[in-house]
Amino acid sequence: MLDLLWLIPALPILGFLILALAGSRLSRKVQSCVGVGSVGFAAVLSSAISISFIVFPPPHYQYDQTLWNWISIGNFSPTIGFHLDALSVCMILVVTVVGFLIHLYSVEYMADDEGFSRFFAYMNLFVASMLVLTLADNLLLLYLGWEGVGLCSFLLIGFWYKEPDNIKAATKAFVITRIGDTSMAIGLFLLFNELGTLQIQELSVRAAQQWVVGSTTPMIAAALLLGGALGKSAQLPLQTWLPDAMAGPTPVSALIHAATMVTAGVYLIARMNVLFTLAPMVQSAVAIIGLATLLLAGFSALAQNDIKRVLAYSTISQVGYMFLGLGVGAWSAAIFHFVTHACFKALLFLAAGSIILASGHEQNMFKLGGVRSKLPVTFWTFLIGASSLASIPLVTDGFYSKDMILWQVWSSPTGGFWLWLGGVFGALLTSLYAFRMVFTACFGPAKTQLKHRSSNIIHIPLIILAILSIVVGFVELPHNIGNFHLFSDFLNSALPSFQADKIDTNNELALEIIAGISCFLGILISYVFYFKRPEYPERFFGGCVSQKIHSLWQSGWGFDWIYDSVFVRPFVRITRLNRNDFIDSFYALVSFVTTSLHKGLSLTQTGRLRQYALGISIGAVLVLLILVWL
Amino acid sequence: MKISDLLPLLPILLISGVVVLNLLIIAFYRNHLLTAALTGAGLIGACVSTVAVYSFAPRQVTHLIIIDGYSIFYMALVFAAGFVVTLLSYRYLELLEDDQEEYYVLLLLGTLGSSVIVASSHFASFFLGLEILSVSLYALIAYNRNDPLGIEAGVKYLVLAATSDAFLLFGIALIYADTGFLDFTQIAKSAGSGHVGLIIPGTGLLIVGLGFKLSLVPFHMWTPDVYEGAPTPITGFLASVSKGAVFALMLRYFTKVDIHTNNSLVLVFTVIAVASMFGGNLLALLQNHVKRVLAYSSIAHFGYLLTAFLASGSLAVTATSYYLVAYFVTILGAFGVIAALSGCRGEPDLLSSYRGLFWTRPMLGGVLAAMLLSLAGIPLTAGFVGKFYVMAAGIGSHLWFLVACITMSSVIGLFYYLRIISVMFSKIPEDFEETGLPDVSGIAAAGLALTVLTLFLVWLGIYPSSLIEVIHKMMSSCA
Repeated sequence: MLDLLWLIPALPILGFLILALAGSRLSRKVQSCVGVGSVGFAAVLSSAISISFIVFPPPHYQYDQTLWNWISIGNFSPTIGFHLDALSVCMILVVTVVGFLIHLYSVEYMADDEGFSRFFAYMNLFVASMLVLTLADNLLLLYLGWEGVGLCSFLLIGFWYKEPDNIKAATKAFVITRIGDTSMAIGLFLLFNELGTLQIQELSVRAAQQWVVGSTTPMIAAALLLGGALGKSAQLPLQTWLPDAMAGPTPVSALIHAATMVTAGVYLIARMNVLFTLAPMVQSAVAIIGLATLLLAGFSALAQNDIKRVLAYSTISQVGYMFLGLGVGAWSAAIFHFVTHACFKALLFLAAGSIILASGHEQNMFKLGGVRSKLPVTFWTFLIGASSLASIPLVTDGFYSKDMILWQVWSSPTGGFWLWLGGVFGALLTSLYAFRMVFTACFGPAKTQLKHRSSNIIHIPLIILAILSIVVGFVELPHNIGNFHLFSDFLNSALPSFQADKIDTNNELALEIIAGISCFLGILISYVFYFKRPEYPERFFGGCVSQKIHSLWQSGWGFDWIYDSVFVRPFVRITRLNRNDFIDSFYALVSFVTTSLHKGLSLTQTGRLRQYALGISIGAVLVLLILVWL
Repeated sequence: MKISDLLPLLPILLISGVVVLNLLIIAFYRNHLLTAALTGAGLIGACVSTVAVYSFAPRQVTHLIIIDGYSIFYMALVFAAGFVVTLLSYRYLELLEDDQEEYYVLLLLGTLGSSVIVASSHFASFFLGLEILSVSLYALIAYNRNDPLGIEAGVKYLVLAATSDAFLLFGIALIYADTGFLDFTQIAKSAGSGHVGLIIPGTGLLIVGLGFKLSLVPFHMWTPDVYEGAPTPITGFLASVSKGAVFALMLRYFTKVDIHTNNSLVLVFTVIAVASMFGGNLLALLQNHVKRVLAYSSIAHFGYLLTAFLASGSLAVTATSYYLVAYFVTILGAFGVIAALSGCRGEPDLLSSYRGLFWTRPMLGGVLAAMLLSLAGIPLTAGFVGKFYVMAAGIGSHLWFLVACITMSSVIGLFYYLRIISVMFSKIPEDFEETGLPDVSGIAAAGLALTVLTLFLVWLGIYPSSLIEVIHKMMSSCA
């Protein structure tokens, strides 16, 4: 069974090739069969492989499949090979299953779009790249997937390319993630230079042997990789691209900018956990960046009016939780949160997409309303997603994963009270903005006409994801509730288990209660402010100072403005100074020299036979001169 | 010579047999499809028979011919390339008003000559093979008698090839006068004994003759004119089979004689290599005629190849062989697209006739783009891996100057490849009218050839180790 592993990324690639080469000649029906079917088969296959992996585990819970050596020069021989362990099992399951549901949903969502086959071609290419990224057994192949998902993200954000704003958003996402990617590439060069391999397993072994904890080289390498992770996962200070990336079609936001691609940074850090453990300072930086991001993004989410932008900031904030977890060594908890987040955030985006579709592309949630009565399926699934995001205790999966992170942050030797407190405050913000969204968009009278057109194709993925958003949480229960550790036991074969310095279950219960209170407090506040007394926000926060704060939050803490004034405008000024482009004159010189040489040499091509013969004779004389006289 | 010696010569004999058979059939019954099919079958058969012959290797058949892994590899390559040229020619010849059948006889003879060249271990057999190749090429280049450019190209090639052959023969004569041998092994022995005499100028004149065939600077000036005038499939044949066979022989001879012991010989090749890289790329730079661009490009590519030739060690042989295979695939693909695009009114020669090709004929445009990217050495194509190995071989032998020259001239080269691609992607001109290609049979053959070449191109680009293993296995017997 496991030797079919290569088929999992190959199927979506095949789908991409068919759609890209022959897409326009196929009928809609065939296009959607190919587009959805390729990912569907990949999902079935990866489920089967995961089951076989769990039931008949390969030795050391690892399975390697080397397809071929790409190139072999000296000690540089990157393979095209896949590595399956508990971590990649989780990743491929999420990518293919959630990916399949989103593809299915897109058939209806994109039904009237003229770029239908182009859309599915890009989406299939994305899934394939994401699978290559997660399965790669060496960093070079991982980088191929990494760049592949970046490219697809660019193509899909700018999918409706006739709007200049969409192109700007796509370019912004591409350029900002490029900053991170460059840092990551340099990190790879450094690792290869120091350790002489890019095979992840081998590299981890050598790193642990060769470097002592806290020395400079692993620190630099980890920091460079972290740069890549920050760009891809939209964490401080490279988070500004994600809210704008909502310009793409909503299924794209669900798949790429919520469930899978933005968590690639989390995956990278978890995959390279040995390196990050060797660099404790960088690991602490991961935690602090995670915390700062989750708080800043939480505040920003509170001030948005566009429903998709709320979800975008919420994604940044939730990925911040994962970073916080990674930073304190709660590896399994972070991956657990990735899994649950993928389910409920994809659900939220798809449900929001269903509302947007029904309202004729109205995204301002203050102009929506009445979803509860008009679109009941969408409403209930959206509510489940929002509850899970707000992590309502015991019944939602978001609770179990977030609680696991918070508890481990509390009890980790590198964590502690302050990080925990920030996390809990973030949870309060989360439930506040989640239910602000629910109350304004779903309740009250419909301010925009809602056309009921959501068909079953839209409902099925919503319902399945809603079920997943509840049940996935039960694979891992805290010590005092059930004490059931299926997920972390499974992951411990691939990731180091969590090292706590104190385990006391009394505290754990207290912490859970505090987290639960913060969640309900958030719901209560939003209930009062956005349902019971909609005039309150205006009354309390109508003042000048609060207006300023509101607009600061709404603009995402003004990062765009800061980057614009610190980087973009000075750069434009410098380029203006260099209007005549004296640097370019060097290149102009190059082109002048080559074109003049071209013209000079072309004079010899006269077309006259006797001159050609003369050329040969001169050549012969020169050859003989060199040979005989030198 | 014993009867049992004939068996290792099976591929060569097979081709000769098909030549005679074709001649007989043409005398009694003219049929284009029949002749073409027979030619194709003969080439395929010869290609397959090389596998059978491999069990005899290495085997010296008389003093003249050696059948070892090296010659079998290049023979197979030559036959495969000949087969591709046959596929590409069918449709092209359908457009001619003249008789088509003799073309295939000449093509088979050219392939036969090339296979003799790669298998020869003696100057006599080499010269024999070379003349079989050249004489058939004179006629093939001027095959379209109604085209004055074709006649001109044929005459130019005839006169200049005769001139260069004179140099070549004189060089061989000097070597013979000095050592008393025409056999490569014996010559290597006498040259190795530290004796310095007429062998040096003899080798110099030999280089002139070979340099002409490989169109290396400064013996290159005929190349664009002949490539332009010849029927396009034949241009592909000239650029691949004819050059590749001569290069394989040159590599065999100079590896035996060991040029590395002679500094001035290394200097000559270095000068020629650098001049070819820069000369070829600079001449192509603003050229508007696509066939001429490819002609210049092939000059530059053999300059790169000389770097691997000058490098020593087993990596050098691997690099050259890999590069030649990649180059064969690419250049045949590129000329194949041009041949497939030619209509009744002639070939699309100027760059402007490729405007918007990607939108009007996406398949052909895509294939041509892939081939050009491979020529430029962009990753995921065969050309990249080939260039990578050539540079690795150069670096391994500390030929820093040559490697630097490859890098610089490749950048120049990138310009004109991308220029063609950008023209193909630009907007379809306003006054464009869909004329459509003339409706003749044989499109499927050309399409098949181009598809296979493109698949090969990508396959070699992402899975090069498969071919590398084959090369290692074949070359282990001789290098």
